Amino acid sequence: MKRGSDLPDYREQAPEVAARFAKIALRPKILEVRALGKMFGSHETLRDITFDVRRREFVCVLGASGCGKSTLIRIIAGLETATSGQILLDGKPVRGPGPDRGMVFQNYTLFPWLTVRANVMFGLRMKGKSAFEAETEARQWISMVGLLKYEHAYPHELSGGMKQRVAIARALANRPRILLMDEPFGALDAQTRAQMQAYLLKIWRNVDVTILFITHDLDEAVYLSDKILVLGPNPGRVLELIENPVPRPRSREQFVSPVFLSAYNRISELIHPPGSIPVEKVPIIRMTMAGDDVE
Amino acid sequence: MQSEVLTPFREVSERAGFLLTLASFILPLAVWCIISYVPFIWHPLVKIHSPGGVSFFREGALVEKKVFVAENSKMREQGLQEAIGRPANPIFLPAPHEVAIAFFKAFTTPPRRSGEPWLHESLWHSIRIIFWGFFWSSLFGVPLGILCGVYGPVAKLTEPVVDFIRYMPAPAFGALTVAVMGIYDAPKIAIIFIGTFFQQVLVIANTTRRLDPSLLEAAQTLGARRSQLLVHVVVPGVISDLYNDMRILLGWAWTYLIVAEYIGASSGITYFINQQAKYRIYDNVFAAIFMIGIIGFTTDRFLAWLGRHIFPWQKQERPGLLRRLQLARAEAIERQAAQKEAIG
Repeated sequence: MKRGSDLPDYREQAPEVAARFAKIALRPKILEVRALGKMFGSHETLRDITFDVRRREFVCVLGASGCGKSTLIRIIAGLETATSGQILLDGKPVRGPGPDRGMVFQNYTLFPWLTVRANVMFGLRMKGKSAFEAETEARQWISMVGLLKYEHAYPHELSGGMKQRVAIARALANRPRILLMDEPFGALDAQTRAQMQAYLLKIWRNVDVTILFITHDLDEAVYLSDKILVLGPNPGRVLELIENPVPRPRSREQFVSPVFLSAYNRISELIHPPGSIPVEKVPIIRMTMAGDDVE
Repeated sequence: MQSEVLTPFREVSERAGFLLTLASFILPLAVWCIISYVPFIWHPLVKIHSPGGVSFFREGALVEKKVFVAENSKMREQGLQEAIGRPANPIFLPAPHEVAIAFFKAFTTPPRRSGEPWLHESLWHSIRIIFWGFFWSSLFGVPLGILCGVYGPVAKLTEPVVDFIRYMPAPAFGALTVAVMGIYDAPKIAIIFIGTFFQQVLVIANTTRRLDPSLLEAAQTLGARRSQLLVHVVVPGVISDLYNDMRILLGWAWTYLIVAEYIGASSGITYFINQQAKYRIYDNVFAAIFMIGIIGFTTDRFLAWLGRHIFPWQKQERPGLLRRLQLARAEAIERQAAQKEAIG
């Protein structure tokens, strides 16, 4: 936990934040996850996951490793099948992967044999658009992520952050109903990750897109999201759906604001409940031989 | 001091690499030279210069050193003229310069009997056999290998029997292929095919399986249908690795050449080598063997060079030819667009 107990309750919302949630609640549901369960053999990975994502909402799914959050997003993407429950996109059940649910993976997954431009064109070409049309559209998206200078580069010539920007442009070019992001910045160094987070918020402001974002980083979740779905492990289940009280527009200065910390502490409490990490007494092994022991 | 040379996986500098490559050819050549040109090393025979009083010595004949010494001491006892000769190696080990001369002379020497092929005709015949054997093998082996790599059921249906046949030596099929296909080129091509095809299917399948599966997932979330994945993701994703596999497989095809050419009516470079050995012109035998090596080696080097240029997305120090063309074209288009904007 970041600081003492003189923080506001994370459920208290400033008027403008409350107004925003009231507005979101009126929007249509894009994604509905209904009592989703997943078994791998006899191991229960997910149990009774239920939540909604509304139009243009930014929802983070947060949990410690092993709580099934990646499985959840892969089921939503259609890359894996659920054992029970249902997923509705615009009210219709989803079956298999499709371009209406764009996905950004942690390990970039750019096609190494295609240039940046051809990567972004991929989905458009699959849709059957002509090369000319796809090219024009792809260039718009590439310019939106600020990589027009690199449109003829191949993925191996780009840095991790640039690759992920291409991956975002590639997913957005399909104009998906929802953008699924599976720990997209997990492989980046801290500084690049911070840049990419700010970048993503900028894109989300400018592009009318709904985002479901998986992360294990508490700061990231509170910084980015409208709502945070906190998952617990064994089996993966919803601990709480938190309405993020931090007002928008977000900035990194908010990281130390009381309202940010109140949300942060609540999540931290959920993921690592007091007493969940046993304090073991470990014997000290001395490695000194020349009698230079220190206390 | 710790030896830096023997650090595992340590890169060799460019200069050292060049020198070592040079040495890898020069060292065996040096050994050959020493054996050939230093009279007191090996040289188990004596080449007769003048037979002297020895009745059965002929000028230019090779006799064993023991016999030479014994005969000469006999001559000395009888007061006859001693034979003169100098140490020599057996006829099957010509000196480097003799082979070097044979290299050129073999092409300009007409065949002993009319109707026999010239050396270049023999070589060309061999190259054709290899080409067609490898062509037919690849025509079926590459697609089948890719399908095995991609689709589990195809692999389960194909690979066990392919793996089984792989262990049967291709030459074992020789008699059978002759019975079915006659004695000319067809059975030889078939042997190259049999020797290559079964390995090829397994090698290509394994390479295909190494494709990052998350690329297939990404493609599907971008709207690629399952039927599109093969052409739009799998094939481009593995093609540069397949290219390198093919280079290695082509090397294997060469190793089946001599066996293949023995089958039915002996032909090609094998026939040439056999004839020359029969005539005891071992210079030519060596020259022909080296030619096979040189053709194989230069083909491989050429394909390696080509490989660096035809896959523009490959990570390498200097961009390949195709990549440079691609960039030049992009630049030209941009320049044009800028001009148009300036005018309009």
